[in-house]
Parts: sequence; C-alpha cells; structure tokens
Amino acid sequence: MPRPLLHSLLSLILNQLTRVLHAVCSVYKQNFLAMNSNSSNGTHSDDKEECSVRPILCELGVITRPDGSAILTQGHTVVMSAVYGPSEVRMQRLQVDRAYVETVFRPKAGVPNTSDRLRETIIRDTCETAMIATLYPRTTISVILQEMEDSGGLLACSINASCLALMDSGVSMKFLFAAVTCGVTEDDLIIVDPDADKLKECKASLTFAFDSINKNVIASYTSGTFPVQTYNNGLEKCRQASDFLFDFYRDIVRKYASTL
Amino acid sequence: MSVHIKTIHPMKYMRDFLARNIRPDGRKLSEVRPTAINVGSISTADGSALVKIGNTVVICGIKAELTVPNAENPNEGFVIPNVELPPLCSPQFKSGPPGETAQVSSQFLADILVNSKCVDLQSLCIMPDKLAWVLYCDLICLDHDGSVLDACVAALVSALCTVTLPEVKFDAITKNKTVELEKRRPLTLTCFPFASTFATFDENSILADPSEEEESLCSGTISIVTSGDSLYSVHKPGGCQLSENRLSECISKAQKRSLTLRGMVEKSMESIKS
Repeated sequence: MPRPLLHSLLSLILNQLTRVLHAVCSVYKQNFLAMNSNSSNGTHSDDKEECSVRPILCELGVITRPDGSAILTQGHTVVMSAVYGPSEVRMQRLQVDRAYVETVFRPKAGVPNTSDRLRETIIRDTCETAMIATLYPRTTISVILQEMEDSGGLLACSINASCLALMDSGVSMKFLFAAVTCGVTEDDLIIVDPDADKLKECKASLTFAFDSINKNVIASYTSGTFPVQTYNNGLEKCRQASDFLFDFYRDIVRKYASTL
Repeated sequence: MSVHIKTIHPMKYMRDFLARNIRPDGRKLSEVRPTAINVGSISTADGSALVKIGNTVVICGIKAELTVPNAENPNEGFVIPNVELPPLCSPQFKSGPPGETAQVSSQFLADILVNSKCVDLQSLCIMPDKLAWVLYCDLICLDHDGSVLDACVAALVSALCTVTLPEVKFDAITKNKTVELEKRRPLTLTCFPFASTFATFDENSILADPSEEEESLCSGTISIVTSGDSLYSVHKPGGCQLSENRLSECISKAQKRSLTLRGMVEKSMESIKS
C-alpha cells in the first residue's frame, strides 16, 4: 500500500478511536458523578480550614480489562487511571533486575505534547519510587492516565489516581503516595488545592508528592517565580493537606476491602 | 581490582566510597566539577555559547527570525528552546525523532523561560499583531556525562546574553520591512537563572553535580533553578524521599552556585566586548 494512503488511513482510525474513547469516558463520568452526588462518604467539604482540600470522590475497578483501575475527582478535576502488569516486556525495555515502569498520559483532546511528556516522567518516577519494582524483574508495569476534566491541580490528581489504581492492582508497594497542589498569590500567601479560577490569580503553583510513612517529599514540580520561604511554607501546608488524602485512601480501602 | 568490583557490584562500589565521604572521581559530596563557559562561539549565529561542566558539553546557537505574533498575545515575540541529544553524545540515545529525555529537557527549558520571564517577550515585538522576532534556541549536547540540564540552562542563558538583533523598519501600510543588519541592539535579560542538579543516593547522601555514572546508580535527581534569591523551579521527578532540611540544604547550595555561574558569564561577556 502506498505510504501516504497508509498514513491517512492510520490517522483516520486513530481519530475514530479517540472519539469512541471520549464518548465512553463521558458516559462513565456522568454515571459516576450521578452515583456519588448524594453520598458524602470519604469527602472533605470546602470548609474554612486553611489546609482543607476540594471534595474528593473515587471509585475503584471502574473498567474491567486492566489489573487495576480508578476514577478520581478532586473538585472538578477528573482523571481516570489504569494499571496493566506485571506483564510481558518489549526486548529493548527489558531490565534484568527490576520491572520497567511506563506511563502514558492522554490529554482530554488532541495528541500528547511535550508538557504531557514532562508530566508522564514525574508520574512514572513517583510510581517507580513507591512500588517494589525489583520484585518483578523482566516485566513491564504500565500506568495509563486519561484526563477527563482539568479544573486545576491536574498533575496532583493524576498522581493520586495512579496511586489508587496501583492499590487496586495489587502491585507490591513500599508506601502509598499523595500529591497536593498549592497556589502562591501576589502577596506570597498560600492557597492549598486551588481550583482553576483561583489558580489564574496566582503567580506561582507548587505541586508536591509525599510518602505515607514519613511524609517526606517524593516529587516536587513548580511553575512561576517564588521566594525560598514561600516554597517552604507551601511544602508544609501541602504536607498537612496530604493527611486528608491518606485518610481518604484508608476510607476507600475500607469501602472496597470486602469486594476487592 | 577496583575496576572488577565496579563491574560486578556497582552499588557496593559506590556505597563504599560514600561511606568515606568521597566520590569515585575524587570529589567531595558537595563539590562540583570544573565549569567553563565560552560565549559567542558560533560567529554565524545571532547568539551562541558553549558550556562545559566536567566532561558534559552543551553548545547553544540562537537564530532570530521574523514572524507574525500570536493573536492571543499580539505584542509579544517568541523564544523557542529545543534540546537535541544526538547518538553522538551517549550510547543511550538512538538516531531518529527526539526521544523522551530530549522532549522533557526542551519543555523544562521552555518552562524556565516562562517562569523566570528572563527575556521580556514584549521587547521582541516590532509592530503589534504584525511583526515580531522569534528566537530559535538550538541546544546540542556533545558529551552526555551527567547534569545535562545544568549545562543546558547555562548554555541557553549565556547564549541569550550574547544575542543582538538588527533594527527592523516596518511600514504598516505597504507592509514593507527593511532589516538594517549593521545597526544591532543587544537583548537585555531581566534575570539570570541557573540550574543545579543533585543526585540522591540512599536518602542520606546527596551528590552535587552528579556524573552520568553516579546518576545511573542513584535513586533520583533534583534540579533547582534559581538566580540567587528567587526560585524558578524545584524539579524533583520522583526518586528517593527527601526531608525538608535536606531540600533546604540543596536550595541554598544551588543559590550559591547560581551566583558563581553568573560571575562566569559576566566575565566571558567582558572578554568578547574587549
């Protein structure tokens, strides 16, 4: 078959697939939101407390094919995640002493760009730190993330969703991890877990991932300009807020323990 | 004998060194490799620099072109960094389209330019909504021996320091543009961000300016971009967990290093002026 024809055919198929995926995703999202709108189980309301986070909702095992999957909403940010593995590895990726961890981040629309690549590496390295990859030599573990809605804190939500999917999959882990974003206002005040509107007024945003044991920093990603003191303040506030997420993980495990 | 231990048991080899507070190449834990910055290395480019950190070499050339500004920001020009990691620089890269590392490095540099606002994009605009400069910054790694991001940021910033743009006259009615190549004005930077990379090994050992060998054995790296006072990026993509004290230590070391690097750039700028 001539090459240009092949290319156009391939891109046509890809487009169709993406469209189908989006349709499936939106149906899931609506069902999910409708189902959880009445239950307050595991959510933290947006009270006046300084370090509170936006309402969190989660469901595990939402899709059947992956070894672990989750859908997570934080405020209006929604991410769906899936984990495949440990499974067969491609020859060039084979590592004799540990599993090869790969991450795919699919944006809501269009093809992934370089900023999605950066996001992928952060998520991958965070997951790799948490899981005991040396237990699964010569295999691959894939973490797939699909953005469904971005209303601030997408990276943090993606990291949390990947942790939930890993929990669901039963891959051995050293600890759990949770990520929290905070915004820095013009007068260096910290807003924990801001939504998109609040984030627009911020001059910088900081995202941290913490481990569940010592609450030390696993990953840090920043944008904008900020002084050192603000960075440390933001880190402390996010660390406090991460407790909400770890509590939430516990609630989720309790809820699903009988069915898992 | 030590060569054999290194091949058979690389982690133990490394750990034995670190237990004595020294690194395999003879450096102390917080010691950086000798750094050299050369500006204006490519005479045909509008701005260029070559940075060497130990064995790591990155060369940056900047090409200025005229373009139409983006409709969303009609009075701003563009700076587009692009990092190339050719198969020449390390066995881990193959020829073909840019790999993941190259893409991530390019995005990292683009983020730093946006975060630090070191180039005033409005100064690149000639006529709002009609004509603006686009600076294509091509960075090529010639030798990949660890801390490539540090070298890339330093090369980019020093090359931007040397950029001179010719004067352009634009007639809005006839849409005629005349470029006066003789009359050139320098580009002014508002700040000088520099990156410092640290590798974390076993939680307690933090190695400044790691080499490729150290990076591959360590559990993770952390890159801090600062100009001395403000922070522009604290990039830690996973890896070993760090406590807050360790993090602050790294930040203060990065601040000191950025001042040293800035001094080096200024010195080499003087040398091309004289």
